Amino acid sequence: MSRAGTQGPGGRTGHAGTDLSPPDGTRAVDIERRPPAPTAPPARLTWQKLTFLPATVAIGLLATWLWFRGAELDSIARNAIADGNVWLRLRQHVELTAISTFFVLIIAIPLGIALTRRRLRPAVPVVLAIANIGQATPTIGLLALLVIWLGIDTKAALVGIVAYAVLPVLANTIAGLRAIDPTLIEAARGIGMSALGVLRTVELPLAVPLILAGVRTALVLNVGTATLAYFGGGGGLGDLIATGINNQRMPVLVLGSILTVALALLVDWLASVVELLLRPRGLEGDA
Amino acid sequence: MSFWEYVGNRRTQLLLDTYQHASAVFQCMVVATVLGVLLGVLTYRSEWAGNLAITVTATILTVPSLAMIGLLIPITGLGVAPAVTALVLYGLLPIVRNAIVGLRGVDPDLVDAARGLGMSRMARLVRIELPLAWPPILTGIRVSTQMLMGIAAIAAYASGPGLGNEIFRGISSLGSANAVNKVMAGTLGIVLLALVFDAVYVLIGRLTIPRGIRI
Repeated sequence: MSRAGTQGPGGRTGHAGTDLSPPDGTRAVDIERRPPAPTAPPARLTWQKLTFLPATVAIGLLATWLWFRGAELDSIARNAIADGNVWLRLRQHVELTAISTFFVLIIAIPLGIALTRRRLRPAVPVVLAIANIGQATPTIGLLALLVIWLGIDTKAALVGIVAYAVLPVLANTIAGLRAIDPTLIEAARGIGMSALGVLRTVELPLAVPLILAGVRTALVLNVGTATLAYFGGGGGLGDLIATGINNQRMPVLVLGSILTVALALLVDWLASVVELLLRPRGLEGDA
Repeated sequence: MSFWEYVGNRRTQLLLDTYQHASAVFQCMVVATVLGVLLGVLTYRSEWAGNLAITVTATILTVPSLAMIGLLIPITGLGVAPAVTALVLYGLLPIVRNAIVGLRGVDPDLVDAARGLGMSRMARLVRIELPLAWPPILTGIRVSTQMLMGIAAIAAYASGPGLGNEIFRGISSLGSANAVNKVMAGTLGIVLLALVFDAVYVLIGRLTIPRGIRI
């Protein structure tokens, strides 16, 4: 994911950078138009793209529901899903994912921007090295240590989920900001823009696709890590899966697993749609 | 009991778990590499087949590992089988993707020149395309291995092998004196294994990537 993410914008800006025109809007549009496009630009959203996955997931969920209604449940299995437990766990899972993603983004993106500023740049290799070791740490181990440290609580689970996703998103943000053609930044500085102005009008807009990719990465990672929140007392759909495994009740296990899979696929799909919709028009074509 | 005393006391158990963890990841990586490169070779020439392979494996990767194991248990039962199946499935994605990207990135002039020399399709693939695509494939293998280290830990919950058992023993004895030691031993063991594997891959890269295309 990071590979494609960093190459895309880099290639595009490299192309624009060879044209030493001042980065004012009108000229840029002109340059974009000059080579007559051989074909119409591909639509960013096709009906197939929009509907295939949700339709598949809906059919899968319907089939699961029909099967589950017919499945024979003994008292243990019935207990595991009694009192709206399924809805509760689903809601917890969505909440864990949303809250943790929010924190990942407000930590990782500003930190990534700060680390690419001139003064903090020497710290980047250190941070990336820590990020690499962090990736090697098993999520479940990290979560367990946090639970021991902070106590069995939703908070411990949240901290674990956030800690695990911050590093990849941070590494992605740094890579993306670094991939921006330095001549563009130099040109912007040359026409008298302040460092803040360059960041706001040149660097951040060019890094939007990458930041959006970061959001998607964080969401997908967090849906996954949230299944482990159960082991830290954070609830979530992991509760159904673990109960199913512990008690050897296959219907509960399968129900929990399928709901988790459906949620993960839908979240990824939603993020991809948002990614397509928010991508700046000027950067199109590198998807 | 301090951490090091604990590790000393439980040496045999920990070494066995470490060995099983490493061996499970290693064997699954071998299978995933063979399957992944094979899938890449079979699909990279066709636009839609290659993209389909990448999309399908990417979708598998979106599925949380605990849910994947949960879906496998009714089919394979508890134990080693679901763990191994899940590890191979997750290991495929980075390898398939990088194999396709790497093979598609080979300069067509080179392949053409090889054809001009009278090389067969097989010879071109084995002697020209795969060696040139090897660095990205090796990167894919590294990424996969690191990921599998963590997934193998989770698979221990379904009675899979390895250091994850140590972590889950710690979780189930939360509050007891040794809980921290157990979790620490399992976690650090996995980090250590991941670093060792990574170092080995760097070495393999040094030995197998032709000098001419080294970056």
